[in-house]
Amino acid sequence: MLNYIWLGLIVIGIAVAVRSDWRDISTNKYHNGEEIETLIQLSNNPTLPLTSSQTYPCTLIYSEALGITQQAELIVGSNNSGVLHIFMDDNTPPLWREVYKIQKNEKYLLAHVTLGGIEGQTVHCKMVFDPVKFVKLNAVTNDGIIKYAKIAVELALGLIGIMALWLGIMKIAEQSGLIAKLASALKPVTTRLFPDVPADHPAMGAMIMNISANMLGLANAATPLGLKAMEELNKLNKKLGTATDAMCTFLVINTSNVQLIPATVIAIRASAGASNPTDIIGPVIVATTVNTIVGVVTVKLLSRLKVFKKQIQPNV
Amino acid sequence: MSDIIINIVSTISVVAIPGLILFIVVYGVIKKVKIYEAFVEGAKEGFNVGVRIIPYLVAMLVAIGIFRAGGAMELLAKLISPLTNFINMPAEALPMAIMRPLSGSGALGVMAETIKANGPDSLIGRMVAVMMGSGETTFYVLAVYFGSVSITKTRQAVPAGIIADIVGILMSVWIVNLIFG
Repeated sequence: MLNYIWLGLIVIGIAVAVRSDWRDISTNKYHNGEEIETLIQLSNNPTLPLTSSQTYPCTLIYSEALGITQQAELIVGSNNSGVLHIFMDDNTPPLWREVYKIQKNEKYLLAHVTLGGIEGQTVHCKMVFDPVKFVKLNAVTNDGIIKYAKIAVELALGLIGIMALWLGIMKIAEQSGLIAKLASALKPVTTRLFPDVPADHPAMGAMIMNISANMLGLANAATPLGLKAMEELNKLNKKLGTATDAMCTFLVINTSNVQLIPATVIAIRASAGASNPTDIIGPVIVATTVNTIVGVVTVKLLSRLKVFKKQIQPNV
Repeated sequence: MSDIIINIVSTISVVAIPGLILFIVVYGVIKKVKIYEAFVEGAKEGFNVGVRIIPYLVAMLVAIGIFRAGGAMELLAKLISPLTNFINMPAEALPMAIMRPLSGSGALGVMAETIKANGPDSLIGRMVAVMMGSGETTFYVLAVYFGSVSITKTRQAVPAGIIADIVGILMSVWIVNLIFG
């Protein structure tokens, strides 16, 4: 199942990017190679004629009728050519904004200009942007593949410290008999949820700790405790590499989120000025309870299917 | 009333972890456990677990990254938008429903944006908040938990997890419409 989802995410992701880039190219969305007639209004009364490799602050008048004027600086080159650095503001046309993002120059949008006649402070010119191609495929490479590969490692390494802390604390709780005690207290519930796990097995204690931490919204503690529980459950696994029924049930309880008080959501609502930031607690509890119950029932029912049963038989 | 709840919530989240650690350590001392040795012995495993999940996390996050960056999310939203009317879900809440199981930080961003655009007390604002609170980053949890014990055959966990996610979204829409609609 995970195989198909993985394949689907990658193939669909890239296919959509290619389709979108193909459409941009065939409609020439970014007006690649098109010259735009504009006026440049030089500031501060510079001495004329314009000298090459000199920078002149100016205002670009793209369309006076639409009120699109942009602060810019003109760097004069040889043979009436030059480079224009356009500074983005609220009036910038949306398409330019996109080109600016793609160009990745920190402060300005870069355009090449061919200078025409000068009348007073006003220069007639033809402006052209560098060709913009494969926007989405570039995004897939940089924002998708490279960035997320890095994020994955950062997340995993970031877990090490907190992981070590909770595994250490859990070891103390295990040796002092606290976990066994907790497990036996919740025996009536846990033995029904996880019939394959012995009631006094350390996995029970770890799972209970994980679920309690999740309910309280302590994500930092919940993940290490959950991984500890997985490790204990794996000790009962007769076929390594394949999930047991107990693991699947435990996973679904975790993915359906049993958090009772969504602290982050409340904080964001409060900062956005909600009249009563906590009034979503009731609905959240209802939604999360129902989806957890449905998840657990589904996972139990699915475990009876032949396809899934076959996978845990030792000879297959 | 709201202030009292916020107070309780913030107190719990501050007190819970130090309190729990203190309790376990003191209980260990009472039961004559060599707490320092026990802690170090347990903590040794932390590094291994962290390193073990890297390949699984890279596989999952890169696939999700490709899906997001290429614009497939927007296309998916467009494709299933006819269905949203059917369940009384405003179209603005749909990106949140798609993002929630895929990316935690992404979902948080979408929620904050949607709340800002529509107002925290609007129906849409409340709906995305409930989706955020009642959902979980399913694919991240699957990758990390199964990855930590090197499991690749996930059996019924994935379909059941996805069904639970869909039910969670439907419930969020239904209950927010019921109470605030």
